[in-house]
Amino acid sequence: MIFDDSLAEQIRMCAACPKMCRHVCPTFFAWRSDSPTPHGRALLLHQEIVGTRDLDERGIEVLFQCLECSHCLTFCKPEIDIAIIVEQRRKEIVTEGRRPSGLNEMAESLLKYHNPYSEPHESRNDWVETKKSDGKHLFYFTGCTAVYREKEIAANTIEILETIGNQVSISPEEWCCGSPLFRTGDMNLGLELARHNVEMLNAIDADEIVVTCPGCYRVLTKDYADYDLKLNKPVKHISQTLEEQIQKLPVGEFASSITYHDPCHLGRHCGIYDEPRKVIEKVSGVQLVEMEKTRDNAMCCGNGAGLRVLFPEKAKKIGSERVKQAKNVGADILVTSCPFCKNMLDAQSGEDLTVLDLPEIVLKAKRSRKANID
Amino acid sequence: MLDDKIKKKLCDSMVSIVGEENVTLQETDRVLNAHDAWPLSEAKIRAGEMLPLADMIVFPGSKEEIAKILVVANDLKIPVTPVGGGAGTCGGTLAIYGGIQLDMKRMSKIHPIDHESMTVKVEAGVVGIDLEEEVNRYGYTLGHTPTSLRASNIGGFIATRSGGSLSSLYGKIEDLTLGLQVVLPDGSIIECKSVPRQSVGPDLRQLFIGSEGTLGIISEATLRLFLIPEERRFRSYSFPDVHSGLEAIRHIFRIGIEPSIARLYDPEDAAMSFSMHFEFDEGHCMLLLGFDGDPSQNEIDERKSMKICSEKGGTDQGEGPSKRWWEHRYDMYYPSRLTTSGFAVGDTIDIVATYDKLENIYHAMKSAMEKHDAIVMSHFSHMYQNGGSIYMIFFSSRATAEEGWATYKKIWDDGVAACLREGGTMSHQHGVGLSRSTYTEAELGSAFNVLKQIKEVLDPNGIMNPGKLGLGVRK
Repeated sequence: MIFDDSLAEQIRMCAACPKMCRHVCPTFFAWRSDSPTPHGRALLLHQEIVGTRDLDERGIEVLFQCLECSHCLTFCKPEIDIAIIVEQRRKEIVTEGRRPSGLNEMAESLLKYHNPYSEPHESRNDWVETKKSDGKHLFYFTGCTAVYREKEIAANTIEILETIGNQVSISPEEWCCGSPLFRTGDMNLGLELARHNVEMLNAIDADEIVVTCPGCYRVLTKDYADYDLKLNKPVKHISQTLEEQIQKLPVGEFASSITYHDPCHLGRHCGIYDEPRKVIEKVSGVQLVEMEKTRDNAMCCGNGAGLRVLFPEKAKKIGSERVKQAKNVGADILVTSCPFCKNMLDAQSGEDLTVLDLPEIVLKAKRSRKANID
Repeated sequence: MLDDKIKKKLCDSMVSIVGEENVTLQETDRVLNAHDAWPLSEAKIRAGEMLPLADMIVFPGSKEEIAKILVVANDLKIPVTPVGGGAGTCGGTLAIYGGIQLDMKRMSKIHPIDHESMTVKVEAGVVGIDLEEEVNRYGYTLGHTPTSLRASNIGGFIATRSGGSLSSLYGKIEDLTLGLQVVLPDGSIIECKSVPRQSVGPDLRQLFIGSEGTLGIISEATLRLFLIPEERRFRSYSFPDVHSGLEAIRHIFRIGIEPSIARLYDPEDAAMSFSMHFEFDEGHCMLLLGFDGDPSQNEIDERKSMKICSEKGGTDQGEGPSKRWWEHRYDMYYPSRLTTSGFAVGDTIDIVATYDKLENIYHAMKSAMEKHDAIVMSHFSHMYQNGGSIYMIFFSSRATAEEGWATYKKIWDDGVAACLREGGTMSHQHGVGLSRSTYTEAELGSAFNVLKQIKEVLDPNGIMNPGKLGLGVRK
C-alpha cells in the first residue's frame, strides 16, 4: 500500500468524521453529493487500505474531482490535509495507467509543447519585450497562463518591474513549471519539465526569480525541493517583490470598491496573504473590502488540480459563486494574484465586476491617476 | 436488493423524472452517500465492513419531483430512504432494505427573509451552517445550534426532532418550525401553514416533525428567527456532586430565569472536559451557564443565578470553563486516534426526564452501562423549567469486531432499559433511527399502536424508510 501508517491513520480518522469540513468544500458545493467531498475521498481510500473495496473507475473519478484547495484543512481539528493524500493516490493511479482520459491531452501537450494549452513553444514569450537597466536583475519565470491566455499580465509585470528600476529578463527556454502534472499525479513528466527548468534557471544570471503564478511559485519553492531539485537563487512571488519595493510603486485614484481573492496555492499552500493586500492598498489608495470568506477561509476559484479540464461546467459553477461573493460585498474590482484564478473569475464576472491580476492593477495605477473602471 | 429487471424499470422512471445526472447506480456513490454519523456505522466502516446499500441514489430538485418519485416507488412497492446532510447519529439514513436513497441535498434554496414576521422559508436540503450564516447577515440567528450544524440539513433537523445547544432559551426544532411542506407516499403534497399558533384540530406539523422519513418527505419549512443577542455572557460553577449542581439548575429555572446555556458535567465528564484547562477540586462537577440578550437583563439573571449556585454549595469558576466550552463546542465531534482505533466505539444515549426522575435515571443508567466495562461520562444539558436531558456518553473498546459490536448493543439495551424503568424517555434530540428502533414500542407503550396505525394509513405499502422508528420492520 502506498500510504504509510501515519497517513493511513489520518485517512481512517477522516473517513470516520461526521463531515465537519464538507460545508466549505467547493466540489460539494458544485455537485451537492457526498461523493466529491473530503470525507468521501478518505472513505474510498480507507476501504482500499483495509481491503473492503477496490478503487473502481468512479472512485478514481471522485479522487480527480478534488481541487486540492485545502480549504477543508482550515476546518479540520486533527489537521488532515486530504489534498496531499489525494495527490499521493493520484500518482499511483497515473502509474497504474488509470488516469482519467480527459487529462491525457493536457499531458501530451505538455510533453510536446511544454505548455498545457497545445500552443507552439516558439511563441511562448517571443513577443515579450524587455529593456536593459542597471537595477536589480530579476528573471521573470512567466508561466503558461500569463503568456498564452493572459498576456496583459505578463506584459504588465515586466513594465511595472522595469518602471520601478529593475532589470527584467526572460528565457525562450522556459517550460511549464510542471504544476498541472504534479497536482494530477503525473510525476514522470512533471519531473522531466522540472529538471529542464532547474538546469535553465541555475544557468542564467539573475539576482532573483520572480513568478506571477502561485502554481509556479509553489512548484518552484516546494515541489522541486521535495525532489532534491535545488535552485541556486531565491524565488519570489510578484506580490512579495512588489511589496519589498512598495515605496516605488505608483499611486492611482480608484473611486471603486476593491476586494481581493486569495489564490489557494499562494494563501493556504504558501502562507502569503498580506503582501498582495499591502500592494493593492498602496497603489489604489483605498482600503480593501474583504469578502466573507477570505484569507485561509477563502473559497477556491474552481480552476485547480485538473478540475477545469475534466469538469468545466462544475469549475465554472464554483468560479461563479466566488464572483458572487465579491459582488455581495459591493466590490467593483476583484483583484487576485494568480493568472489562472484571474482567467476563471474574469470569465464568470459579467459586466458589473472588473477582475484584475495584481500587476494589472499596479499598472492601472501608473497609467491613470483616475482609473476609470466603468 | 432489487432484481435487474425492476431496477432497470425504476432507473428509467427516475431518469425521466430528475434527469440522468441526478440518478446514480454506481456502487461508489451508493457507499459514499449511504451512511450518517451513527457511531456503530462509523466503527464498522473503520473495521472494513460494508454497510447496507440502496440500489440507486436519486437527487430530486423540487417537491414535484419528489411527488413523482414517490408515486413510482409506491406503485412498485420499493423502499425509499431519505438522506439529508447525513449527520444523524442513529443510522436513520441506512437503506437496510435497498431501494431508493432519496438525497435531498440539491434542494438548497433559501427564500428571502420575512423581516416583518421574523421567519425564513427554506428547502429541506439547505445545510444548517449555510442558513445560519445567511440569516446572520441580516442580524438574525436561528437559535438552533446542534454540534452537527456544519453537516446537517434543515430537513434532517425536522425529521429527527433535533435540538441545539441553546435549546433552553430558543427551543428545539419543533418550537422553531412554523410552517411545513411534506410530500406523502401517494405523491400528494401537503402544507402546514406558517402561523405562530392555531386551533384547528391537532397540530399536524408535529406529526411529521420527528417522523424520520417514515411518513413522508419533508421538502420545505418556515423557521422562526431571533435577533442576534446583544450579549452572550458566561459563568461557571463547580459543585461537589451531581445532586447539588442539579438543584442549582432546577432553582434557576424555577424562578423564571431562562439561561441559553445550562450544562452540568458529572465528575468524569468535568475531569475530561475541563481539568486540563482549569483548576477545580478533583471529583467535582462543573456547571456552565450562558445568558443571551440585553446586558442589563443578563446582569440581573446572572446575579440571581450566582446567588442560587452559592446557596446550593457551588464555587464560582468565573466565565472561563463556560466560555471555553462555547468556543470549542465542535471539538468533541472530531474523530481522534483513540476514538477511531481498533474496535473502539463510543456513543451517547441522550435521555430526557422531569426533575423528579433525572437523578435516579442518571445513577441507574450509569450503573447499568458501566457493568459492561464501558467508560461512562455524562452531562446534563438542554435543561428546562420541568426537567431536562442527560447525555450518557460511553466508550468501549474490545479485541474483536464481534465482541465490540455485541458489547455496544448490551450497553444500549441495558442503558435504555434503566432509563425506561426509572421513568425517562430514551431520546431528547437524536431521534430513533436504527439504533433505538427496537426500543420504540417499550418507550411508547400502548401509544405505539397509534403510531403504527398512522403509518398504515399514510404509507400502506410501507415504502417510507422501513425499519426506522420501529415501523415497517421486514423479515
